[in-house]
Amino acid sequence: MAISIQIETVTRAFGPVRAVDDVSLEIRAGEFFTLLGSSGCGKSTLLKLIGGFDAPTGGRIAFDGRDMAGIPANRRPVNTVFQSLGLFPHMTVAENVGYGLRLKGLRGAALSARIDSALEMVELGGFGPRDVNLLSGGQRQRVALARALVMEPGILLLDEPLTGLDERLRQQMRDEFGRLHKRTGATFILVTHNQDEALSLSDRMAVMHRGRLEQIDAPARFFEAPANAFVARFVGIDTLLTHQGVIREGDATHALIAGEKVPVRIGGPAEPAESVVALRPDRLLLHPHSEIELKNALALRLKVVETRYRGLHHDVTLAFADGQRVVVSLEADQPVPAPGDLVSVGLKPGGAMLISNAGLPAAA
Amino acid sequence: MMQAEGTLSRLAIWTITALGLIVIYAPPLYLLGVSFNPALQPGLPHLADLTVKWYLALSGETQLVAALEQSLLIALVTAILATLLALFAALAHMELHQRRTAWFLTVLLPMFVPGVIQGLALSAVFQRAGIKASMLTVIGGHLLWALPFAFIVILTSLSVVKRSYLMAAADLGAGRLRQFLDITLPLIRPGLVSAFIFAFLLSLNEFTRAFYLAGRQNTLPVVLFGKMNAGASPTIYAMSGAIFLVSVLCVALVAGPALLRRRAGPAE
Repeated sequence: MAISIQIETVTRAFGPVRAVDDVSLEIRAGEFFTLLGSSGCGKSTLLKLIGGFDAPTGGRIAFDGRDMAGIPANRRPVNTVFQSLGLFPHMTVAENVGYGLRLKGLRGAALSARIDSALEMVELGGFGPRDVNLLSGGQRQRVALARALVMEPGILLLDEPLTGLDERLRQQMRDEFGRLHKRTGATFILVTHNQDEALSLSDRMAVMHRGRLEQIDAPARFFEAPANAFVARFVGIDTLLTHQGVIREGDATHALIAGEKVPVRIGGPAEPAESVVALRPDRLLLHPHSEIELKNALALRLKVVETRYRGLHHDVTLAFADGQRVVVSLEADQPVPAPGDLVSVGLKPGGAMLISNAGLPAAA
Repeated sequence: MMQAEGTLSRLAIWTITALGLIVIYAPPLYLLGVSFNPALQPGLPHLADLTVKWYLALSGETQLVAALEQSLLIALVTAILATLLALFAALAHMELHQRRTAWFLTVLLPMFVPGVIQGLALSAVFQRAGIKASMLTVIGGHLLWALPFAFIVILTSLSVVKRSYLMAAADLGAGRLRQFLDITLPLIRPGLVSAFIFAFLLSLNEFTRAFYLAGRQNTLPVVLFGKMNAGASPTIYAMSGAIFLVSVLCVALVAGPALLRRRAGPAE
């Protein structure tokens, strides 16, 4: 039932602008795949190309190896939940959900049975005769979902389906997607700019930027080994430091940052001009100044610039000797160091990575 | 103070509204009154003198009846053609991108050509081409006149049809034709009805173009105008009155149920 998708060097150019630029990607059958990116990065365009609403200007898209060129949206085994939903305003909930099946020639009891079970699946049982214009946002969302799922598609495309819902509904619908993915077994492709959705739902995901895929990986890999500075920053690893060079001592590798030797894992070019050191905020440990232990080989000595109370923790901004800054969080009940103090910061394994600086603004 | 100001402005608004309604409806209502007056001279009848004899006399006025039939037929054909063409023009407008404005203005242009000039021009061209003036030439002229209005009405109603509806329909397996029949058409049906009525009335009313283009059988406005100049027989008031009453009836039939439904709506 589930269908795999092969995307080979696909480009979609609008005049001189390449909304999708030479993208190659293989999505496995039954996978929950997410395209993550900020608005205008080309993720929705790529989704339209898969759905058949637009044709690539270069490259090839295939389903289960079968070339889809020239096959319009209405003849592809794909169904979509659109960002704007596109519920037909002149039809009831049941008519909306049953529209696709009616086109396939289904009528009568068989049709209403399928509609009912689709509505049950999205927990809208009994809503059939209602007017779609009088439903709440979350209910409309479910109708759109039921309308796509009732077709039992091999591929389900979700185009920013949670945008515009409030936070509670968003979480509820997000869990729904996960549940329906397991239940239907179809290939799900989600387009979103929301990291939470992407991380919690995806088997694999891709971060897209300026029409290109920056990294395609399982969600955890984006934190363990971001492909470059853009990806790191996108997933929330904000501390990206320039360094003066890499020193190799036996097994250990250190990057030199303003005189401090920072143990790093190499994940890209080592040249200072082409790389940055990414520090994972969750792997930094602040030792309050009273217990500075220089014996600890993994500790850095940094100066406190400012502290900020954040409720459940304190944000402590620290500076290297050359002025580059790191923000480390400190539990709320810990004594807060004063600005100007020298503190030592412990680095858990995997806390620092040397990655390509691609995607970083030139000034940084 | 605020209260007084509110009352005053409300009074002013109602006065202006009433004046406006009087200016609009007094003349046809006067005409309606005149049509029930037994006297040969126009004037409002006394209640006791009310008569329908001019209405009964209408059936004998073969010239007026023939003109009415001609006008209704022309209006019907014009309305059908104008609605269809305007629908196609509006659909084309939806598909066009950069040249949208140019297309819009092209379709709209005939609206701004004065009737006298267009009538004369068409008549000259038809004569040159050897086409004899007939019902068809009047329909041609009226089509040019009614099409832009029908186009605007349908275009407005098309704004209800969002692109996402059509994309969703395509996604669910509908080809272009099914998208049109299942989504676009039901959504713009009110617009099509309005465009049809609009075109029908524009054609029924039209004088100038018909004056130039009519063949042996003149349309009703042309005949009524001629009769006016030749010293009016009260039957033309009866004819006007009859048309007015039928129009009111039509509006009541179309708008009445809709109004009732709306009033009943919130109670449900």
